[in-house]
Amino acid sequence: MAIEGGYGFLEGVIFVNSCDAMRRLHDVWKRYVSTKFIHILDIPMGNLSLGSKYLEIEFLKLKSALEKHISSPIKEEDIKNAICIYNISRLLYNQLNSLRMEDPPLITAGSLMKITSDFFKVEPEVWNEKIKQLIEEKKSDTPKVEQNKNPRILLSGSPLHEIEFIKFIEEIGLNVVYEDLCTGSKFFDLNVKDSNNLISSLSEAYLTRTPCARMMQIKERADQIIKNSEKFNVDGVIHHSLKFCDTYLYDVPALKKILVENGLSVLFIESDGGLGDVNQIRTRIEAFSEMIKN
Amino acid sequence: MVSHSMLKKYFGQLETSLRSKLESKVTARRRFVYEIARIGSRIFDNDWSIGWTTVFVPYEILNSMGVSGMFIEFFGAMLAGSGMSSKYLEISESKGFSTDSCSYHRTIIGAAMDGLIPEPDVLIGASIPCNGGVKALKRIGEIFNKDVFILNIPIEVTPDGVDYLTDQYKEMIEYVENETGRKLDYDKLKKTIKYNNQAREYLIEVNNLCKNVPCPANSNDLKNFIIFVLLQGTKESVEVAKLYRDEFKFRVDNKISGLPEEKYRLMWIQNRIQFKTDLLNILEEKYGANIVIDELNHIWWEPMDENNPLRSLANRIITHPIVGPVDRRLEVITQLAQDYKIDGAINPAHWGCRQSAGARVLFKDALQKIGIPLIHLDVDCVDERNYAPGQIMTRLEAFLEMLSSY
Repeated sequence: MAIEGGYGFLEGVIFVNSCDAMRRLHDVWKRYVSTKFIHILDIPMGNLSLGSKYLEIEFLKLKSALEKHISSPIKEEDIKNAICIYNISRLLYNQLNSLRMEDPPLITAGSLMKITSDFFKVEPEVWNEKIKQLIEEKKSDTPKVEQNKNPRILLSGSPLHEIEFIKFIEEIGLNVVYEDLCTGSKFFDLNVKDSNNLISSLSEAYLTRTPCARMMQIKERADQIIKNSEKFNVDGVIHHSLKFCDTYLYDVPALKKILVENGLSVLFIESDGGLGDVNQIRTRIEAFSEMIKN
Repeated sequence: MVSHSMLKKYFGQLETSLRSKLESKVTARRRFVYEIARIGSRIFDNDWSIGWTTVFVPYEILNSMGVSGMFIEFFGAMLAGSGMSSKYLEISESKGFSTDSCSYHRTIIGAAMDGLIPEPDVLIGASIPCNGGVKALKRIGEIFNKDVFILNIPIEVTPDGVDYLTDQYKEMIEYVENETGRKLDYDKLKKTIKYNNQAREYLIEVNNLCKNVPCPANSNDLKNFIIFVLLQGTKESVEVAKLYRDEFKFRVDNKISGLPEEKYRLMWIQNRIQFKTDLLNILEEKYGANIVIDELNHIWWEPMDENNPLRSLANRIITHPIVGPVDRRLEVITQLAQDYKIDGAINPAHWGCRQSAGARVLFKDALQKIGIPLIHLDVDCVDERNYAPGQIMTRLEAFLEMLSSY
């Protein structure tokens, strides 16, 4: 799509050294797509004692590269403002997300994933206002969610961009109440502290946040899934891994073992993120649903 | 469930058999494999601690601390070469490891699950060349209830990056000291740098000799030479490198070709196929096609400073062509193609290798620009269960026919 100009509207792309495939995507993008600004950010994993300082340097390099590109300095107060706005976004999301603690949840995963998806596309201030309104509406309105006693699911795994995939799980008769995904609830599980060194605050926040599989901290990852499973009172965990996504695939046997030992029912699904092999996935999710109902 | 005594026996027998062959005739290849077998046996030597690692860790430091480092992909390859990988692949797959992941890793995970490998004292994984290696090491660590020390190798060559890796090496030394009670012998470390520099000089000569037409080496002389990293910084590494230099120099001086009637000169990208196959023999005997350079045998680093060993070692790894964006790797591949006067390149495109697969189109592009054809074989280098020799050979034959028309 990018090679054919589908992302021609982008001024720039910032890649993250999140996995081997992403590093190569950066290489191929540089070679075949003429985006004006291309940058790769090197984020450390695992042992973080020295990583925070290194990430700070990486953020400063990105800042300099952006300043050069826009021919204008990025002021400290601009960073402070942005941190504040994004902290508000995360706070608002979590307020909205808490509606899913109710049984049945007062907002569907499909609509929440749409809201999450919008976050990546619109100005955060605009998004924040929209969410504030939505929260007010939810407070004043009678819930319009269909009453059901469907099993409650925490969805974990590789980043998912297909809202249809979440809707598909809900249509089968499961309430997805938390997305432990980099493109779902977990994305908003972060708070950047105000300080005299904002770049350092950013570095610390991103390195100490709930880890994804890429950070090589499976115990911490599992702990967070268990904690959120309790908080959102889930009946089971669906772990979805994208095909060929090593960072998640290599974790599956070990993660499954930890979660099962902690009393959670787990279904592992591997797919290309779309609904190509829909019937097979449907059968497995239906069987899982029946199992956790009992 | 097997015991790791089987492995001890394997290395012991290999060592004995090679020693006896060396007594009758010394060749560089024999000596090289003998030294590797000795390192294999060393993991059962109580005088040494055991370190399971990924490939880009500083063995010089481990050697100086009395830790026998062993990278997991080497073991995957070795088990494939002994025809044992299928068993361990099946074990790991039965426990839920995806068949789409790297079979080097699945093999060693299966072997660890089956009790084949001895318990490590330390586990050290580096972020480069791949995430899969670190993940595999984590899974092996869990079997022994041990965590993995992770080295983040910066993807850009900058002074800050070298500082960062140097500091991580210092933390790694502390970690090894805590886990094993072994202290770093700094004088020993300095000596490893000296040996590394000496071996490096010989290896540069070895590679330069291979630029001759015909090449003094055949396709097998420097096969899997990447495992030389296990010897780096030892007296034996210098001896092996010198033997290769002497052997190849003798052949060049006496106009002895590594492969009689060398017709096509080929470059091999990344790792070789590890299980037994007659592919290379057919290429050599039937077509006169010789692998004159393996991409991974390139000596990329500058001489190191004995008085600044940690920083030198950090700098060596950060400047490795596989670290960082692919540009440096493409430059090296292109340069090697020209220096070694190759006619074509083979990339096995190992199934499950994410760090390389995404760049395959770029390898082809880069070589095409200088008029060198490349073939992707699409093969799994460790898992022979789905290997289709006829199909691979047909593709290679067509490739060689095409070379003849260039």
